Order: sequence, then C-alpha cells, then structure tokens
Amino acid sequence: MSDIISVETFQHLVGLAALQLDETESEYLRRQLNNQLKAINELAAIPLDESAAITAHGVPFTAEISAPPRPDSWQAYPDPAGILAQAPQVEDGYIIVPDIPHTTLR
Amino acid sequence: MTEYETIIGLETHIQLNTETKIFCTCKADSWFDPPNTNICPVCTGLPGVLPVLNERVVEKAALLAAAMHAALAPISFFDRKNYFYPDLPKGYQISQYDQPIGRGGYIDLPIPAGTAPAYIRHVGITKLHMEEDAGKTRNAGNRRLIDFNRCGVPLVEMVTEPDLRSADEAAQYLIRLRQLLRWLGVSEADMEKGQLRCDANVSIRPKGASYLNPKTEIKNVNSIDAVREAILKEVGRQQREMDAGRRIEAWTLEWDEDAGVLRKMRSKETEADYRYFREPDLLPVRLTEEWKQAILKDLPELPLDRRARFITQYGLPEYDADILTNERTLSDYFEQTVQAYSGDPKRASNWLMNDVLRMINESGKSAAALRLTPVHLAEILKLVDSGIINTNTGKALLAKVEASGKTPGQIVQEEGLAKVGDDAVIRAVCQEVLAENPKEVESYRDGKITLIGWFVGAVMKKMRGKADASLARSILEELLNAR
Amino acid sequence: MELCDLSAHELARLLRQKQVSAVEILDSALARTAAVDGRPGTIDSGALTDEDARKVHAFITLTAERARAQAQAVDAKLASGDDPGLLAGIPFTVKDIFCVQGTKSTAASRILANFEAPYTATPVARMEEAGAVMLGKVNLDEFTYGSSNESSAFQPSTRNPWDTSRVPGGSSGGSAASVAAGEAPLSIGTDTAGSIRQPAAFCGVVGMKPTYGRVSRYGLIAFASSLDCPGPLARNVTDAAMMLQVIAGQDAHDSTAAQVPVPDYLAALEKGVQGMRIGLSPDYFRITFPKAEAGEFDQQALPAEMEQAVRRAADLLRAMGAEIIEDVPMPNTRYGIPTYFVISRVEAASNLHRYDGVKYGYRTSQPVADLTELYRRSRAEGFGLQPKLRILMGMYVSAAQYSEQYYQRALRVRSMIRRDFDEAFDPHGKYRLDALLTPTTPTPAFPIAAVYGDSVLMQYADQLTVPANHAGIPGISLPAGFNSAGLPIGIQFLGPDFSEDRLLRISRAYEIATEDEDWRKRKPSMVKQDEVIS
Repeated sequence: MSDIISVETFQHLVGLAALQLDETESEYLRRQLNNQLKAINELAAIPLDESAAITAHGVPFTAEISAPPRPDSWQAYPDPAGILAQAPQVEDGYIIVPDIPHTTLR
Repeated sequence: MTEYETIIGLETHIQLNTETKIFCTCKADSWFDPPNTNICPVCTGLPGVLPVLNERVVEKAALLAAAMHAALAPISFFDRKNYFYPDLPKGYQISQYDQPIGRGGYIDLPIPAGTAPAYIRHVGITKLHMEEDAGKTRNAGNRRLIDFNRCGVPLVEMVTEPDLRSADEAAQYLIRLRQLLRWLGVSEADMEKGQLRCDANVSIRPKGASYLNPKTEIKNVNSIDAVREAILKEVGRQQREMDAGRRIEAWTLEWDEDAGVLRKMRSKETEADYRYFREPDLLPVRLTEEWKQAILKDLPELPLDRRARFITQYGLPEYDADILTNERTLSDYFEQTVQAYSGDPKRASNWLMNDVLRMINESGKSAAALRLTPVHLAEILKLVDSGIINTNTGKALLAKVEASGKTPGQIVQEEGLAKVGDDAVIRAVCQEVLAENPKEVESYRDGKITLIGWFVGAVMKKMRGKADASLARSILEELLNAR
Repeated sequence: MELCDLSAHELARLLRQKQVSAVEILDSALARTAAVDGRPGTIDSGALTDEDARKVHAFITLTAERARAQAQAVDAKLASGDDPGLLAGIPFTVKDIFCVQGTKSTAASRILANFEAPYTATPVARMEEAGAVMLGKVNLDEFTYGSSNESSAFQPSTRNPWDTSRVPGGSSGGSAASVAAGEAPLSIGTDTAGSIRQPAAFCGVVGMKPTYGRVSRYGLIAFASSLDCPGPLARNVTDAAMMLQVIAGQDAHDSTAAQVPVPDYLAALEKGVQGMRIGLSPDYFRITFPKAEAGEFDQQALPAEMEQAVRRAADLLRAMGAEIIEDVPMPNTRYGIPTYFVISRVEAASNLHRYDGVKYGYRTSQPVADLTELYRRSRAEGFGLQPKLRILMGMYVSAAQYSEQYYQRALRVRSMIRRDFDEAFDPHGKYRLDALLTPTTPTPAFPIAAVYGDSVLMQYADQLTVPANHAGIPGISLPAGFNSAGLPIGIQFLGPDFSEDRLLRISRAYEIATEDEDWRKRKPSMVKQDEVIS
C-alpha cells in the first residue's frame, strides 16, 4: 500500500503540532504513522451501523447520574504564586516569552 | 465610478457579569488586579485539571438568547477549538461549535432619521454560544508579557448575518446591544474595559448585485465611534481598490486607536486547523423545561418593545420614549410616576427628562437609587397643578426631597412654601413696596409701564417667592394707576 | 513473612490491635524498596549496568520524609484513640501521572521532569485523608503511551519482579511492580486501554479499571480524557475493595465523576456467586487483526495456557453455584484497537497542546528567534518518540478534511462496541450476564526491548482490555497462576456500569476457591534474594 501520509503532508502535520524533527526522526515517525494507518484504515471497512449514535463517552451520562453545573460562588485559589513559580521566566508578575512573529503592513 | 453597497456583519464577544469564571471559581472581574493573581490550576491549564461549568453562565446566556428571539437548545454541547497562542494556556479554547445554546434569532434595529427618514433594519443572528475568554498579552520590545487573570472569563459570542448596510447601522447595532445587555443585567458591556468587543466583517459590491465579495475582518475595535470610523475607512479603501480594478483579499486588519489606521495582521490559524471535537471533560448542558422557565421568568419587557409601548400607551413623542427607555430603572421610574400622578404623562415626562434626569446624571446614581421616589414626583406635580405651589417652588422641591428624604408635603408645610392667595396680605406688601420706591412710582406714572415687572419682583422678594405673581401684578397696577 | 509482604487488610488489623506501628510498617516497606528497587529512574541516566538489570526500578521519586510524617500521625491518632482512617498506616505508591502537591509530577517525560505540582489529585488526596502513607511516585510509559514502561524518559525503566529480563507491562508498570515486589501493598494507576489490567496480569497482582466516572480524574494528567480511569492495584481482592471504597465517588472538581452512590464494597465481598450468570466469549479466546487489505481479518488463537486458566476459573465458579454461559458473541471486539488508535490520538494531541515551554515544565535552552520557534524546540526536545507519534496521528485524523472519515466513524464504532456489552448484560436479554470472564492479555510478560519497535503488534496486545475502556464499563484482572515459563497469567472479569461490588464479589469467590493452591505461595525471584541477604 502506498504511503498515505506523504512527506509534504507529514511536514504540514509537524508544523501543526509545533514540533521540529530531524531527518531520522521524521522518517521513523512517518513510517510508524503509515504503519498504524493500515490498522486504522480498517475502520473504513467496518460495516457501519448508521443508528449507532455518536457520544462523547462510552457510559451514557443520563440526567440522573450527571453532576449539575456548579453554583456561581467565588472561592479564591490560595496559592497563585505557587503556579507562577513553575514558569521558566517571570518578571513583575508577568510570564515572559519571545514575541509572536507577525507582519505589519501599511 | 460605480456606486457600491456596503455589506457588514458584526462579531461581538460579550463578557458576562457573573461572580466567577465559566469553568473555575476564580473571580470573573479582575480589571484592577495585578497580573497573574486571579488564577488557579484550572484556568492556567496546569496538567491534570478539569473544567466545571458555572450554572449562572448558562442562565445569563439563555436570557440573552431569549431576548434576541433565538431558539433555546434543550441540550447543547461544548467543543474544543485547538490552536497555539500565548494567551491560551490549555492550547485549546472550550467553546460551542455545532450544537450551541442559541439557534437563530434577530433584532429589529430602529435607525433614527438622518438624511433619510427613520426606518427599521432587521438583523439576523447566525451564532450565539458560550465560550471561555483568553488571557491578555502585551509586547514590550521583542518580548511578550502574559497575564492569565482573564483566562476563563465567561463570554457569549454573537455573530450577525451580513445584514448591516452602513457604518451608522453598525454603530446603532452596538448601541442597542449595549442597552439590551445592561437592561437584562447580563453584562456591564463597558467597551473600554473589553466587556463588549467587536470585530467587523466588511465587504462591498456594486449596488443591486446579490453575490458577496471577499470580506476583510477588522479586529478588536474597542469603542462604538471607532467601529464607525474603522468601517468608513475600510469601505473607502475597498472602493478605491475596486475602482482601480484590484481584487479585495480576505485580510485580517487590526484597528490602531491612536493612529486611527488599519494594519494588516496574521490571523491566528486558518479555520480548518482548529480540529473541533466534543469536549470530553464536560457533560452536555441540559436546559430542562423547568430550568428554562425559571430563567425566562426574569425576562423583562425588552427596551425596544417598551419604547414602542410608551409611544402608543402614553402618546409620548419618539424622542421622549427613546430617552425614557434608555435605561431600565428610568423607564420603571417614569411608569410608576404616571401611575401615582394619573395626570398628563407628557408632563411627567417633561419633569423627568429636564430635571430629574439631570439629578441622576450629576449624582451618578441610577433612577432606582434616588430618594426622590416616583410617588414624591407625582405629589409635587399634583401640588403644582392644584396651584398650592408654583412651578419654581415645585422644581426647587425636587432637590430638597432628594437631599432630605422628606415628602414634598412635609417640606411645603415646614417651610411654608404654599402660595399665599389672600388679597389683604399681598395688598399690604404692594403698598409697602410703592411707599419705599417713590422714584420708580414717579417714572411708572410718567409712562414707563414696563417697570411693573420690577415691582412684581420686589413684592416676590419681600414674600420670599411665595406670592401668587399674577395676583400681585393686578393689585400693583390698580394702586399705581389710582390717582 | 516480612511486614511489607502482608496485605493491606492484614496490616490494618495488626495496627488496630496495636501489634505493630505504622512506622514499623513503613520501615519494612522502605527496607524492601532499598533491597530490590535499585536506582530510581532519571533522565540522562547513562548506560544500563548488570546491577540495574537485576533490580525492579519502580520508583522515580521516593517520598520517605512525607511517608514518615504520615506514619507518625497515624500512630499518634491510634495512641489517642482517634479514628485514623480506613487505610491508616498502609503504604501506597502513586503512578507518576498524578499531580501530588510538593512532589515532582513528571508523567515520566522530560517535558515535565522539573514540574512540581502545586495541587493534589482527588483520588490521592482521599487516600492520604484515609491515613494511607505515600511511599512515592512510580514509573510509567511516557504520558502513559505504551504497554511495557520502556518508553519512559526516566531510565532504567521498571522491570518485572518475577523475571527482571521481562517488562512489567504498562503503562502502570511501576504500580504493578511495586505491589508485586512487596514495596507497597497498594498503588494507584490509570487505565486507558488496559494500562492497569495488563501490568497487573504481567506482575501477578489484582488490577481494577472502575466504571468511567466512578473515580475522579482531577489531577490525572490527561491522555485520552474520555477513556482514562484511575484505579487500584493490590495484592488481593479485599485490598482492592478497601482502596476503591476510599477513592470512588463524586467530585466537585470533575463534572464526569458520576452522581452514583458508592456501595459498601467490603460488606458485599464474601457473598459468593450462588446463582450468578458468568459468560465466556469465543471472541476473547483469540486475537483478530487485519490482513494486508482492509476488510479481511486474520485470527490467532491465544496460547493454550491462557484459555485453560479461564476455563478452570469457570469450572471453580460453577462448582460454587454460578451458572456459566458459553459462546456469548462479542462481534465488535475486533474493532477496539483501530477505534482506540483514532479516539485516543485526537484527544491526546489536544491534551498535549498545553506543553509549550511557556507556563511550566521544559523550555528549550537554545536561543530562539520568536515564540513559534520556542514552541517547536521545547516540544521537540521535551517529548519522546511515542508522544510525538500520537500527536502527529491525532493531528492527521482530526484535521477538518479527515475528521469525518476517521474520528466521527471511530465514535460510531465505539457505540457498536458498547452495544455488545449492553446486549450481554441486559437483564431482559438473551444472556443476562452478571459478568463476562475472559483472559486479560494474549501473552504473558514479554522480554524487554522485544517488540517495542513494532508498536502495532504491541497495540494488539490490548485487544482484550480496550473494549471495556470504549464501553466505559468496569473490568478487573486477577492473578490466576503461572505459565510453564514461570510467568504470571491473569484472568479478567468485565461487568455492567457501576457493578464494581459484584465484580469484587465474584473475584473474591475465585480467590477463596484457589487460596490453597501452590502457585499462591510463590514469591518473585528477587524477593527471595532479599530474604537471603537480610
């Protein structure tokens, strides 16, 4: 079976996934993808039962067992500093990153 | 030069005024907080966190959807919109994609008379759904500073059909929308604070054509005037481009407030790459009949409906009806005054628009917060109508009641403000005035009859404004002309 | 018998009778760990030594001080007569995919190697509140992507205590190995396609995947959010029931934690299987996988020893009054793997978007021109091969132009897999099963580095466990003896939604029926070694 995911498609996926791969990794992963797609393409051959509903979970979350939405009451998180402490670069309470590339015209 | 028609669709993001964010219990409003303090593991997208839906967001979104005549979905779903951006900690935004809470809807926009007579613009709604807000970033040199305080603030995204035909209509839409949001109590809709954000999709086509040309998207314009100005500028540019035979490209433009200029910017990501799919961490939103009725119980008469009713029921001119229904508590105040007064509604409207509204604006209070209640205002109107006090005294009473909180009757009684109608007392004062001003009497009698006004003023001063001016005048003329 | 080899409920009894202190139990567990575990997994861990090859390496982070403080607190409560909690003094390990405040919570990935969680996952918090003593965070396949622990960025990865040249299974390999090796009587793992049940079977311990929504996922670093289930690994059914009692139940932090009351699992445990209907399905005695051309299938019977273990269990249960129903058709079992490939990758790709080098975890130290390059370098250097593979597959099958053909289709097939179970368990249906009895895995623990390269074959190893994840139903794997090579074999019971109490009861009955059999006395090879030393 020909490769379903071509090198171009693969590079597009790498960009979408915000990754950067060297040659060997690209080839290995592309081969693995096409390999797995053989198994996945079997999905296409499955005689689909149209009445089979699409649900987000296997377990049917009926109204009875579904937790209702929560009340609108404020509970401040006690340790925002603990969260910020995990950031690689912080200044005056801001998380710092390099700027986003964008073209300004006119 | 061909004549063009402008086609505008508006995308608005409305920040709901719930107490907490949509998926965590942090505060919704952190406008005055230092950066990254109004945050928790959930809204900063830490590993392993889960969203939990805020019931008030569903209620306020449903109320707005109903007010926009949209159909309320008994079951709606949240979906993930995946893209990388520094203000989006999870790397996806939880929104509603194919089964939102509101379907369809419209607003019939009254466009005031301008060069043409007033007319109604029917604006359809294509999208109305709940979603979470992103954080804020600003750049400093070649770095970007990220603040997650606003992450997870509840939004309703509302998108119109491309039904608007001018920059003015676009402005009217935003004015009416802001009024409705405050009227319903679902959002403060303060554009400067980003609580009502607008993106405009603008295209033009030769008059009479039915196809749509490619549109440009003007992003984050944060005032109504700026929306009008940005659209006018863009329409002008597109016309010049078309006239020069060039095609319009589907750019994303950013409005630069200070420079008053539109800048081309890279859009976040093309539509196909958002890879929408059902949000597995949330259950469907079940708007049961029972919950829906409880929500719709709070649906008030809408501003435009009330405006129309004021015109028919009270015979008010459009101008009065517009002013009186601009803000909800003011319109309630007017109706309660008319009920208590049971006199001519136009009279109540005049006193409200000319005097009480000034007090409201100066005090910064809402009509509902005034100590001068509608019953007080009706009482003052009745006092003036029955001649117990004159108009000036009535006007002065407004501020006195507001300051003291006493009833008008109490003040009139305590300060003896009732007009003195008894002849003898006025006659005596008139004689006093003439006696004290022989020179003026002399010149009146020599023919300078305009002095009568001066004499009346003198009498009013002596009686501290309580006298009946017309009665004082006739007595003075009688005395002055008697020889 | 060392204290650390006793079961949780035995230790609980000794503690209450004041025959032993929580600190003594902890010391015994720490001693066993020191003897058998070897150096903990680390990133940039250098070459594997012969010494390494003989050790279990379950741990990434040992939290001895935290454990000692908790043990002392339990002893203090016992002394003052306060209630120390259902799991008082019981050491437990935590699969390092759970955030636990103050500990490195790494997902066994370089990209989170330095991430210290500022909050604790609900199930772990509930265990600590019930007096359990947290020994540490144990190894797993990176981001739970794998069935052998080998893809962990923290090497040396865990090895099977019964034969350290073989894998412990995965992705909850560290959990299963730490329980089997006597380091801790309990561990909390996660199961997305069999990641608790398969390592439990490979290591000869009990492993349960509860119903989806039975145990809160708050604090569980997400792989496939609609499939992930936290669950217990233990040495016996009673211990598993005790742990499930503590971690199950609704949670304000997790909307998908179902509002279903938690029954008393321990009370129901000894009620036996009289009158219960237990099914066997031919679809679970073979592996069905696609031939080259789509639509055609090959079948391969399971090794005889696997089927025999299941049939023997059926005979024992029949002897105890259960009714065995043969040939229950489960036709959609064969579609579990391709459906899982698609659904899990779509969710995984999205769930891994957040690891971007901005907020926490690994950020590239290389100079970068702009933010896009920071994303790309940080993720390229931070993720191992398996996460990259799953992200790329997720991008492909959920891209707008392919989503209908792959993702929507997979969701429909998932409903068909669910229907197999609905029909089998339907109280008014043809079979009216209380549970389905099946093998847990097609093979016992395979050698390290054997099949790792060919991920498709390794993925088919989950064919007997993944259907329960798609359907959301509960499943439990029990040790059922050893094969001729001396490697543990597991059998699996699957039941309808929220029927954990019945599954535990059936499992306990099987345990009672086999408690005197010789294989139950066997100990992992390296544990004997430890006894020789001490």
